Amino acid sequence: MTDPTRQTEGWTHGPLPANVRIGAQTRITADYAFKRFLSRQPEALVLGSRCTMDGVHFAVGEQGKIEIGDYCYFTNAVLLCELQLRFGNYVVIGWNATIADTDFHPINPAERIADAIACSPAGKGRQRPQIARKPVIIEDDVWIGPNATILKGVRIGAGAVIEPGSLITRDVPAGARMLGNPAQIIGTSV
Amino acid sequence: MNADRTLPGDWHHGKIPENVKIHDSAYIQTTYSFQLFRSEQPDAIEVGEAASIYLGVMFDMGRDARLSIGSYALLNGARIICDSEITIGDYALISWNVVLMDSYRVSMNAAQRREELRTMPLRSSSLAGLARPIRIGNNVWIGFDSCVLPGVTVGEGSVIGARSVVAEDVPPFTVVAGNPARPIRKLEPYCSSQHA
Repeated sequence: MTDPTRQTEGWTHGPLPANVRIGAQTRITADYAFKRFLSRQPEALVLGSRCTMDGVHFAVGEQGKIEIGDYCYFTNAVLLCELQLRFGNYVVIGWNATIADTDFHPINPAERIADAIACSPAGKGRQRPQIARKPVIIEDDVWIGPNATILKGVRIGAGAVIEPGSLITRDVPAGARMLGNPAQIIGTSV
Repeated sequence: MNADRTLPGDWHHGKIPENVKIHDSAYIQTTYSFQLFRSEQPDAIEVGEAASIYLGVMFDMGRDARLSIGSYALLNGARIICDSEITIGDYALISWNVVLMDSYRVSMNAAQRREELRTMPLRSSSLAGLARPIRIGNNVWIGFDSCVLPGVTVGEGSVIGARSVVAEDVPPFTVVAGNPARPIRKLEPYCSSQHA
């Protein structure tokens, strides 16, 4: 590979998808990183410079878009995106933390049957029902621990700390320290 | 372990690092568990008699990290994030996707974290002094998907329910569960008749 913006460490299945843009000195490892990357958006993944994406899953649906700032460090994060995930600068995410901007399936039982049929081998070409999606926004300097889960529509304010294993379903104020399921504010990040 | 420190029947083409001491009767499924091992300590990992380490265990251990795993302990897919010291007692059972972390790896101060992130190499250790040792006592059982946070001690014979997050010490012979984990009930310590 001659184009430096196409070069990543450990990406063994050829070049990056064409709709991925990465900044200078950003590293992406793991051959599974784009196994579930199906986005058809023109700039589906925009990654800043000097980021480390060590074993991150970019599971992005056809309409999904992910933006990540500079100096971010993600270890084996699972990013499940059908609409939009936005990360600021200096965001750190730990092993197996999951961030999703979608409910994946309808909540309404009748619609869920329609969805099960559309997703089945017999459902070829059938339209899936509308599924709730809301962007997730993670501001600058947020730290997210291993095994934490961030659900759709959440905005995490600058400098917040999400302790390992926490489940976040609501907005988090800037500088808060969160722990639990459901997560509660247990203090402020220093 | 074979003479060249490979494992019989291993799907991953790796070796057990020289500074890992394993009892002859202990079992390790794959050298993939050492993919993130970078400790430079003389006896960085000690694995006791008849202990077993199954697929999915990851020794994510920094330069100064030390880990001791007791006799008959069973680890089935734990993520061990260690930069100082983690001790796992005899007969301990550690379930899948359990995180044992003695360090947050980066400063919890946002301004300082920025400085660290600007120069952080891939898979670095945390800075000295940030990590706080974890102790898992003898005969402790940790349920799947649980997290044990830096500095925590879990007393002998206790049980951590699945998906718990343990942020505070757990006394001996206690069942805790929840996120954050809270005591649920006490367990009966060994009777002399049962444990003669």
